Amino acid sequence: MTVVEILVEIAVRFALLSLVAIGGINAILPEIHRVVVDVEGWMTSPEFAELFALAQLAPGPNAMVVALIGWKVAGLAGALVATLAACGPSSVACYVAWHWADRLRHSSGRAIVQRALAPIAIGLIMASGYTLALGADHSPGAFALTALAAAALAFTRVNPVWVLLAAAIAGIAGLA
Amino acid sequence: MSANDSASERSPLAGVSRATLFASFLKMGLLGFGGVLPWARRIIVDERRWLDDREFAELIGLCQVLPGPNVVNLAVIIGARSHGPLGSLIAMTGILFVPIGVMLSIAIFYAAVAHAPVARNAIAGASAAAAGLILGTALRLLLQTRPPPRGILPGAAAFVAVGVLQWPLLWVILVLIVVGIAAEWRAARRARAESA
Repeated sequence: MTVVEILVEIAVRFALLSLVAIGGINAILPEIHRVVVDVEGWMTSPEFAELFALAQLAPGPNAMVVALIGWKVAGLAGALVATLAACGPSSVACYVAWHWADRLRHSSGRAIVQRALAPIAIGLIMASGYTLALGADHSPGAFALTALAAAALAFTRVNPVWVLLAAAIAGIAGLA
Repeated sequence: MSANDSASERSPLAGVSRATLFASFLKMGLLGFGGVLPWARRIIVDERRWLDDREFAELIGLCQVLPGPNVVNLAVIIGARSHGPLGSLIAMTGILFVPIGVMLSIAIFYAAVAHAPVARNAIAGASAAAAGLILGTALRLLLQTRPPPRGILPGAAAFVAVGVLQWPLLWVILVLIVVGIAAEWRAARRARAESA
């Protein structure tokens, strides 16, 4: 496969997945894994996991993992193509959907849909926090850090930067 | 003001400059260790007051139902409400493209530092707290919006199905949307019947 063929392959595959990525990139990550590891053999499964971990650690949306995958496969051009293909079509769809929703802003139907979506959104945010906690909390200390950070954010106006820094220091001190 | 006026003309987002829009989303992107959502809520609701907690929860609900990363969708919509398609691009650049540049720079040095014990321990502590920040954001939205029981049930079901049971998100969302909308629609009809 030439580099251009690889880029086209990434663009087509990721662009199609973008439109079904309900819930974000995590929803299509198993399919991306199947393509880049099992079908194309562009990287091993542990390499894929390491890219995922790196994207989680770096500041920014978790969706950035697609840029790392593209970068690993085809360098800077790969990162660019993978990001635009994975986020472009869904962003255009979102823009169109918002325009449409904005026109219906005074309809009672839209108010009903919005009221129905808000609590489901909160439940899903809680689910993602829970899933991350399962992966991160392997000791009572880590569990306590998770609980303290949750309480700090829910009940105080403390800046989350201090929470993360304090937790990193607690980790260095061997508490996590 | 007529009913046809665009929402953006009345919302505080209409007066937001491009520079402020970019800076706000850049801040969310570059501070978002372990998840951008806690920062998005803090900056959009507490710092800039572009939306209140209820509007934020409703908008995130829409972003979750649409395909694509939630916070990128959020950038698309908030950007569009202040500066149209260009605003969407400005917000996306701040929250996604610049952080990707930072991440790729980090990736080059990553192998050298990732295995140092100090780095691993610091990351372990910060990862545990990052999960807590997301849980705390959900808790805060719950306390501020106080959904009625007909909303609590689908919300709790979403948490159990996706978080605890790890069921496929797509099907859970589709089923719960139908259930949630049916419950809200019934309540709205009952309220109309009572007032009539």
